[in-house]
Parts: sequence; C-alpha cells; structure tokens
Amino acid sequence: MTVRIDRRKFLMGTTALVAAGAAGVMPAWAQASSLRLTFWGGQARADRTYGVTDLYKAAKGTDVEGEFLAWNDYWPKLATQTAGGNAPDIIQMDYRYIVEYAKRNAIAPLDEFVGGVLDLSNFDADQLEGGKVDGKLYGISLGANSVAMLINTAAFEEAGIEAPTNAWTYDDLIAIGEAFKTANIRGGMKAIMDGSYSEPMLDNWLRQRGKALYTAEGKLGFDEADAVEWYAMWAKLREAGVCVPAEDQALDTGPLETTMLVSGKAAMIPSNSNQLVGFQAIVQDKLAMVGYPRIAAGVGGGHYRKPSMFFSVAGSSANKEAAAEFLNFFISDPEAVKVLGVERGIPCIAASRDVVAPTLDEQSQIALNFVANLGDLLGPLPPSPPAAAGEISESLLRTLGQEVGFGAKSPEQAGGELITGANDILGRV
Amino acid sequence: MTARSLESGAPARERAASPSLWSRIWQNHAPGYLFLLPWLIGFFGLTIGPIVTSFYLSFTDFDLLTSPDWVGANNYVRMFTADPKFWASMRVTVIFVIFSVPLKLAFALAVALLLNRGMRGLPLYRALFYLPSLLGASVAIAILWRQIFARDGLVNDFLSVFGIAGPSWISNPQYSLWTIIILAVWQFGSPMIIFLAGLRQIPQDMYEAASLDGAGKWRQFIKITLPLLTPVVFFNAIIQTIEAFKSFTPAFIISGGTGNPINSTLFYTLYLYQEAFGFFRMGYASALAWVLLALVGMFTAFSFLTSKYWVHYDE
Repeated sequence: MTVRIDRRKFLMGTTALVAAGAAGVMPAWAQASSLRLTFWGGQARADRTYGVTDLYKAAKGTDVEGEFLAWNDYWPKLATQTAGGNAPDIIQMDYRYIVEYAKRNAIAPLDEFVGGVLDLSNFDADQLEGGKVDGKLYGISLGANSVAMLINTAAFEEAGIEAPTNAWTYDDLIAIGEAFKTANIRGGMKAIMDGSYSEPMLDNWLRQRGKALYTAEGKLGFDEADAVEWYAMWAKLREAGVCVPAEDQALDTGPLETTMLVSGKAAMIPSNSNQLVGFQAIVQDKLAMVGYPRIAAGVGGGHYRKPSMFFSVAGSSANKEAAAEFLNFFISDPEAVKVLGVERGIPCIAASRDVVAPTLDEQSQIALNFVANLGDLLGPLPPSPPAAAGEISESLLRTLGQEVGFGAKSPEQAGGELITGANDILGRV
Repeated sequence: MTARSLESGAPARERAASPSLWSRIWQNHAPGYLFLLPWLIGFFGLTIGPIVTSFYLSFTDFDLLTSPDWVGANNYVRMFTADPKFWASMRVTVIFVIFSVPLKLAFALAVALLLNRGMRGLPLYRALFYLPSLLGASVAIAILWRQIFARDGLVNDFLSVFGIAGPSWISNPQYSLWTIIILAVWQFGSPMIIFLAGLRQIPQDMYEAASLDGAGKWRQFIKITLPLLTPVVFFNAIIQTIEAFKSFTPAFIISGGTGNPINSTLFYTLYLYQEAFGFFRMGYASALAWVLLALVGMFTAFSFLTSKYWVHYDE
C-alpha cells in the first residue's frame, strides 16, 4: 500500500504550487506530462518499476506516478476505481481478468498504436497472442513464465537427498518424501507442501492426462473421476507424510511469507518461474527450480509459457497514446530492460533478452534457463479461463482440499462436490 | 416581510401569527443549520446516500464494471434457498456472538469489581486494562494472535511444560473460531470502563445497611450490585452484540481474508466482503448487508422488549 509520493514531497509540491500560483504562473500540467500506473507485487517489483519510471522521466520528461498493492488488495481497488471512471492510465493486468476487463471496455485495444509509438515487430508471437481478446490487442505481455517447482537446495543437501530434475515423477516425489521422513531435518521438514488445492498444480496434472481445467467455451475440462483421483492421490501423500499436514497448510493464506517454503515446513512448493526472485529475497537457503512432477516417466505437455502479466491501458484514459509510448519504453529500452531483469518474467523481445542475460544474478539466470529449456514439458497455451475461475480456485477448491485434509470429507465426496460446485459457480456469474 | 417585522423591533412573540410559521423557524434557526451544514452534507452524502443506494443495489446484479440490472428479489431468494455458504457464515457469526458477548461482559464486570475496591494506582490499571480495546481491532494484534496460537507459539510452549503437545490452534477448524472469541474477550476494556462508572453510581450506604443486616459479600453482589447495575449491563449487552455481529478485522487478518480453515472463521461480514470485493457481486453483497441489518435490528428490538422484565431503573 505505498503511494510513491511521500509526505515531504507532497508538501514541497504543494508549496511550490502555491508559490507558482501566487506568482501568477500556473504550472504547465499538459495532459500527457503525467501518467498514472498501478500494479500488484512486492517491494522488489516496486523498486524495479520505479527505476524505469525514473529513467522515463529523465528521457522523455513525462512523470509516471506509480502505486502498488498486494494481489488481494489490488483487484478490489482497481474495480472500484474503474467503476468510478478513475482508473489509472496504465494497469497491470492478469490472464485471469483480461477478458472480463476487455469485454467491458475497461481497458482499451492498443492496435491503433502498433507500428506507431508501439513497436512490436520483434515481439514473441505467442506472447503477443496471449494479450489478445477477440482478435484485438488488449495487453502487452511483460514477460513469459511457466509454473515451476521451487526447491530449497540447502534442505536437500542437509537431508542428503538428491534434488529432482525435470524428468521427475509423482512416484519420485513419494520416494523423496520418504527420504525426508527418514532424514528428519529441521523439526520434521516435509518434502512438499499440500498441493491438493493449488489450482496450477491441478491444472498441470490434468493437462498431462490430456484434460484441462477449462475448455475454450469456459466449461469444466475434467470430470468427477479425475477429481476423485486427484484428492485420493493427495490423501495418500498426506498420510505417508510426503506433504505437510492440513493444519500446517492452512497457515498458508497467500502472501509469500506464509508459504510452507518460507516458514520452512516443506522443501518444495509449486509456484511460478518468475517468483524465484521474490522468494529468494526472503529465504536464506539457496533456491532452485524444476518442472512440476510428471504423472509417469516421459509424460510431458503439462507446462506452458504464459504471459506472466500484462500492461493494459485504461479505457477511460485520456492519454492512451502517451501510455502506449511508455509501454514501448518499458519493454524495449535497453536500460529499462536491465533494471527490470526477469522479475516479471522473461522479456518477450529477443533483443531485450540479450541485453538482460549478462546482467542477471544466479537466481534470475536459473529462471531464464528454466523457461527457455522446458523441452517436452511444454504444451500448448490454454484458452484464457472463465471469469469465475478465481472464485472456483479461492473458495471451492481450497475449502474442499481442506475438508479432505482435515478428514471432514472423503476424496470421493470432495471429487463429486468439486464438479457440481464448479458448475454451479460457472452457471451463476 | 419578515425582514420588516424584525426591523420594526417589536418582540416576535406578539406577532406570532402574522409571518408564516416556517419562515419564522427559518429566521431563528438559519445560522444553526448553516453551522450544521458540513455534518448534514456528510450525513446525507456519505451515510444516507450509500444506504439508499445499497438498498436499491440489493435488487440488482451490479458487478462494479457494468451497469446494474434489476433482478427483483433473486438475491434474497438465493441467500435463503441456495447458498450453503450464507448459512455457514451465519452459523460462525452466531456462535461468535453467543459465546464472545457473555464471556466478555462477565470478564469486564469481574475486572471492574476488582478495580472498584479503591486500590492505589487505579488510573494506571484502568488504562492498562483498557489498552487491549484500543489495540484489539488493529492489524498488529491479529498478526500477534497468529503467532501466539500457532503450533510453535506461546500457548503451546506453555502447554508443553505440562507435557501437552497442542495443535496449531489458529489453523485447526475445531479451534480457530475459539482463538478469535478469546481475542474478542480480551478486548474487554470499554465495557469494563462503563461498568466501573456504573459501580460508582451505587450508593455506599446500601452496602453499609446490608452488612449491618448481616449480608455477605456474595449476597450483596446478588441483591444490590447486580440489580442496580442492570441498566449498564443492558447497555453493554446491546452495544457489544452489535459490535460482535459486525466483527470483521480479526477474522480477516488471521485467516488472510479466506475464512479458513474450512470456512470455520468465515464471519458473515467476511463472506459479505468476499462476495463484494473478491467476486464483485455488489448486488448480492448489498442484499447480505441488509439481511445483517435486519438481524441486528430484530435482536435489538427483542432486547428492548424483554428489558422491562429484568432491567431496573431507579424510579
């Protein structure tokens, strides 16, 4: 919840304004000389982002005022601002919401600026495609990323267990879990967090089975048998002590600090490749990443390179062209790209990647290499999820996962209720 | 016309009938209303306006981004017929109210009685005991609570002295609501202060007379203190119950806004918040808010109706 203008700056600013007013000189507040930018993320992201806005100010003289919030607080605020016709000019947008915002004209199509102030001639085609809704470009991908299993390498070393590679399977996971149990390090650290209500992990598992969370029509892409098997598998992992008990997992309420990786209760958690940087900033032990486990040796296709997030321009913005110009600077200016690194994902322009690569620290390098070398783990980009996906993940999937975890429901019950509950929510909207 | 009547300098009372009543009121009270204007603007613009709007929205499917469409009583019908989470959150809130309010009042009264014995340094103790009420609704305390009741928290450290290995209270669906009830009871400061003021109102000679008649401390409490304190108990009970129904922050912070685990801390207000700002169902959330208002209103009306049987006023 940090607005970038602190009180002192504000006071100085207003004093200057009053002084200017008194002298009969109104400050030249030309419309395009100031842009508002909003994004979700932590301090690390904010520092990098503001580094770029400072560069932009120096290069073009345009002020970009940034504001950032945590994910959970970001969306209510953005929706409220949008409803009030007061949305910031530049909006960080997620795959989950882009369709909804585009269909309601809350964000503007950018096609008219492409080739003009917005040069996308060398932009990765799949990342460009990801920002389109009904054939029009509504979001510029700020980086490619993939889901990834984050690994506490120090814990693996301490336990004397070999860290997995991209070839690993769910059977390997069980073996690793047993080994962690035997090693009994750090007060009974488990191999992995309880992933039974991790939406990306379920999605990845389903894709390997040739199914999907959602179809292109926005319907459920799996059935009760899949769901029951999913819950049964995690019940087995929980019972065997491979994953953390339900009571510990319930402490994880979303923010990085509450995750099992940071609290030290598990050696691995499912996450995203770009988040390695954020996690490493608050964990002492050295982290690394591999793909999610395969359902059987050699089975791939669960992962995909997705736009980690977009910048969109508000439909209500009076400075759309100026905003598009800033976006162009953000994705292609060599200095800006260096400041940003891969914190938002791997840059989508080859030239930007080349600029970034030599400047990266070890962790960022790992993320870059991981996304570049997914190999047979890589599958096609799924269609953007229906608007209710967030609710299904946050209320239904989580509650059912906990109910199985605490023994309040059997995997069979939970599997059935996941299907009926999700269909109910999808039908409601 | 009225201006002239004032110029004439005649006492207004004698001319009572001549200028219209309203213009006379206006003459006399205009400055008052002028001074009230900022408050009136705030009251109508920021309180009444949104209340009326929310009542309208409760009959729509407003989602913040598109304009609201009228859906009749659908929101209310769904709530009572097809929404298990509504009932789950209602259950959590009612349990919270039923346990936290009496416990808190009993605790507040006990401390007030203790402090009423004219001890040295009373203002200091009073301030100390009031402190939790100031801090209680804060984010910091809710985070502290997470630490105290975690698996490796203070409570379990204490229990381990007796060889008990406690669970993670805060993240176990069997206990999580109770940690929030304890948090509420701990914030006994404001009812305590009011009880203390009430106790000071009780004439000392009543106790003197009672002890001359041979009544013990307990008997004095039952026969004198409690009956004379009932108006204060009544006031505190009403206020605290309304507060309890509205309770939001502790559950929001402790569960990270999720109402976890298994919705065991999904307070009614938290569910309302999720529907409104998590899933953008402003219409449904408005309907939820009105049902809560009706519920609190009904409870308060019931309390007032029954009060004549147990609340003793002096006269």
